[in-house]
Amino acid sequence: MLISGRERILNGFYSKSSAFEQPTLLEEENLTHFSIEIRDLTKSYKTPAGAVPALKGLNLELNYGEFLAVLGKSGAGKSTLINMITGIDHPDSGEIFVEKIPVHALNEDQCARWRGLNLGIVFQFFQLLPSINLIKNITIVMDFCNRYQPEERKERAMYLLEQVGIAEHAFKTPSEISGGQQQRAAIARALANDPPVIVADEPTGNLDSHTLGEILDLFSTLVGNGKTLLVVTHDKEVASRATQCVEIQDGKIIPEKWGSSF
Amino acid sequence: MNLSARWDKILRDILENRTRSLLVVFTIAIGLAAVGTINNTVRILKRDLFGQYASVRPASFSIYISPYQQGLENSVEAMREVELAQAQRIETVSIMLANGQRKDLRMVAVPDFNNIKVNRLNYTEGALKPSLRGILLERTTAKSLALDTGDILTVEIDDGKDYSLRVDGIIHDITARPYKISGEALGYVSMSTLEWLGKEPYYNQMQLLVADHKTDREHVMTVARQVRDRIIESSGHQVISIQVPGDSGQPGEFWASKQINGILLVLQIMSILAIFLCAGLVINTISAVLVQQVKQIGIMRSVGATRRQLTQLYMVYVLGLGLIGTIISFPLGLLGSWGFLDLAAGFINFDVTTVNLTPSIILLQLGLGLTVPLGAAMFPIIKGTRISVYDAIYQNGLSSVYKRGLVETLLIRMRNIDPTILLSLRNTFRNKPRLGFTLFTLTIAGAMFMAVFSSYSTVNKQIDELSRYVAFDASINIPGGANKFTVEREALRIPEIEAAEGWAISNGFIVHSDGNESDRIEVVGLPDNPITIQPRLVKGRWLNPSDTWKVVVNEDLLAKEPSVDVGNQINLKIGGVSRVFDVVGVASKHMMGSRMYMNYEQLTKLTGKHNQVDVVRVLATPGAFGTQSEQGVIGKQLEDRFEETQISEAQSRTRYEIFATFSSAFNILLIILLLVAFILAVIGGLGLAGTMGLNILERTREIGVLRAVGASYTSVLQVVVTEGTTVSVISWVLSALISYPVGRILAEAVVRVSLGTAPAFRYSFAGLLIWLVIIVLIGIISSLAPARDAARLTVREVLNYE
Repeated sequence: MLISGRERILNGFYSKSSAFEQPTLLEEENLTHFSIEIRDLTKSYKTPAGAVPALKGLNLELNYGEFLAVLGKSGAGKSTLINMITGIDHPDSGEIFVEKIPVHALNEDQCARWRGLNLGIVFQFFQLLPSINLIKNITIVMDFCNRYQPEERKERAMYLLEQVGIAEHAFKTPSEISGGQQQRAAIARALANDPPVIVADEPTGNLDSHTLGEILDLFSTLVGNGKTLLVVTHDKEVASRATQCVEIQDGKIIPEKWGSSF
Repeated sequence: MNLSARWDKILRDILENRTRSLLVVFTIAIGLAAVGTINNTVRILKRDLFGQYASVRPASFSIYISPYQQGLENSVEAMREVELAQAQRIETVSIMLANGQRKDLRMVAVPDFNNIKVNRLNYTEGALKPSLRGILLERTTAKSLALDTGDILTVEIDDGKDYSLRVDGIIHDITARPYKISGEALGYVSMSTLEWLGKEPYYNQMQLLVADHKTDREHVMTVARQVRDRIIESSGHQVISIQVPGDSGQPGEFWASKQINGILLVLQIMSILAIFLCAGLVINTISAVLVQQVKQIGIMRSVGATRRQLTQLYMVYVLGLGLIGTIISFPLGLLGSWGFLDLAAGFINFDVTTVNLTPSIILLQLGLGLTVPLGAAMFPIIKGTRISVYDAIYQNGLSSVYKRGLVETLLIRMRNIDPTILLSLRNTFRNKPRLGFTLFTLTIAGAMFMAVFSSYSTVNKQIDELSRYVAFDASINIPGGANKFTVEREALRIPEIEAAEGWAISNGFIVHSDGNESDRIEVVGLPDNPITIQPRLVKGRWLNPSDTWKVVVNEDLLAKEPSVDVGNQINLKIGGVSRVFDVVGVASKHMMGSRMYMNYEQLTKLTGKHNQVDVVRVLATPGAFGTQSEQGVIGKQLEDRFEETQISEAQSRTRYEIFATFSSAFNILLIILLLVAFILAVIGGLGLAGTMGLNILERTREIGVLRAVGASYTSVLQVVVTEGTTVSVISWVLSALISYPVGRILAEAVVRVSLGTAPAFRYSFAGLLIWLVIIVLIGIISSLAPARDAARLTVREVLNYE
């Protein structure tokens, strides 16, 4: 049975951490019906040469349990979009709702805790903690969010590593494994707290074709289990497995591509 | 060990960043060890030195009396104001050393060595009491003269005969100044031995301990006067002088307590400074750790860590390092205390019983070891964990907009400058807060280093002041006095001597309006226009030949008699005769006791010793002083000539000997100040090393780019070393700017406490230059290691650096 973000919040999903300040929920009549909804999002970066716009009034809606592939050329605004959805960066204007949470309105600490419980991120360059082994890289996410009983965490981390096919490297540090294996560990980490939404930035860039197939199968399984998946990619094969595909150009979703699927 | 992931990460971070972790640990350990060393030294010094001193029942005062027989002390002891009285015979003779040199030996005889009541002795080895023809030597005398139990000592008596005394044993007299400081050997003999040496059997000194208010100088002096008036003088004996022992003039205080307090003051200032410097270093180093961890902080925040969790994480990290540093600081501090105490014990002659740690010292170190690093690290931790996830992950902690400062703008305009130097200079000013902290640490360390040198220089200047009053090559006492003309004529018969000056000397006392008398004052009758004294007047004027009943007093006298001033009249009592004198001037500190100068004629009128002198001071070349050996030759010729003409059989003293003895008393101060300066240099060096390591770490990628575009290993080294040297030189300039006021404050504190006088400050340019050399070397050494590591990385490694 699928559980919506709204239900998770109402079921006291956050109650395990007293440190977390409850974000303000939308009034019932304003509730979005999408897993991810973006309204008129703009973002520009200040440089010595002046402000450079990255997103120019971008709109996007993604249903629960969808797998969206976001395509676009380098500099089109794909990574900026991911940073906005994950709350890593803040928009100049516009609104972002993920699982009905107004991400644009959360402060840094609210965002951190919300991400930990509701959003799994797979970074382009893995961003694993270099000093600890893969198991600990996964359990630290549960540890910070006080998710699962301490004795269950290691077991779950091992299960996730098995899922991504690198269980035999569980006790190695990131520098001791290949780029592809690090990418898989990053995916396992993104699943640590069993979040309803997973966002990935070029998650398959370092994978060989065999592993790529396995990861895409995993993605499909996750989507099949009700997870919402948003992937920024250049890879046509990834895009082909998505339920929805859009392209960003000059900071906007290109209209003719919107809604098309492979 | 099943640690949770976050604590596992912290543990691994400590272990994997060994160099940086060690830097923090050492910084904390050194700072705390300095605190532990100083506090433990103070504690043990008070326990052992002052405790041992108090245990021997030190005399409240000494009375020099005309010859008396045993029993007088019992009458004195019967007074209810007196707790104990000890009769003593003091006799000074010469001893012949193996190298043919003569030395003064102060021989002390007491009625019963089994029952010494005041200034008790501790027996170190050999016999407990001296036999006939035997002597017990004070241990510092025995050590300095390389004499052991069973050795034979040759003693020369006034009649020219030599006697051999057997060293029966070695004793420890904590109330006596050690041989190296006093320059006088000290031994204990029986009265029968003195008789065997041809001396009359009598006592001439009494050591007394008052019954109440043992540390109240006023009370002690009142009791002393009562003893003099009621018992000694009423029994027909004459009191020559009354003295409270020690430099401080405070009864019950160890003789060098002022100097020790001066040293302890310096140490305590340094201890506080060490804590501040360490805090600065911890801030810099923890900032360095956090800069290295910025990306990881971003990652942890991206997966759900809150700011509070991260703050806790890094606080535990700092506490962990603080705890390790504290644990290391315990043995290090104990070792430091042992070193200081060993040095002090050897120098001022006391025994260190045990060097141990008490719960209070452990708690002090532990408390500081946990709170100071935590307090210091709080700012960088809060700053580091407040960074946005975006900046942490994508900008790696650097702001996306680079702000160019004034210095960078100026550097860019300098077109003819070498590019590598330009790069070094630009790097130096890139992280201004870090540069600020580093400069703060180095500047304070440098200023204190220079202040230490200036303090020593100022102490030396005070000693130099003494030279004004010892402006001769050699002098010789004439016990009982001799004709002035004869004495000067015989001295001038020595071919090397160009000038000879006979002085009359007597003891005097100021009689106060209430009838009380002052301590003994040395009264000097000077010839007209004396050339063996070059007084510095701090107030009033010097004596004129035409002056009658006018005196100049020294600052030492003013310290004991604050009511005396220029323009005042004093009632001076010399040899039973009192006369009112006008005070016309105050001469600078002599550091040899209270002294008063008047014209020769006036003094001899009072003493009745017309045309007699008590000492002659000679110069080979007026206006200049001879070398050590020249002075030694003149002194020996003077002794021989005066012995031959039966004027005096006393031993001469040269200017060099007086200075050597006096300066040695301050050598311990120099050694301790230098040790402190060394610790400061180490702390400063650690600070710069940490900063350079961090700067290089941040620029690993830049170094890779430099290497990729063809920069050689040497060029990279040059860039980094120039940067380190630049920071060093800037800190040196800043230290130099504040070194004068800082030096003045420290020197004033040290001299005031140790010498009890207002110092004439002398800035040490040597300290300025020595610190320049040290700090530049520190700059080079501390940047070489990280520069070498960075330059050795391959271009691929560097460009892949995360």
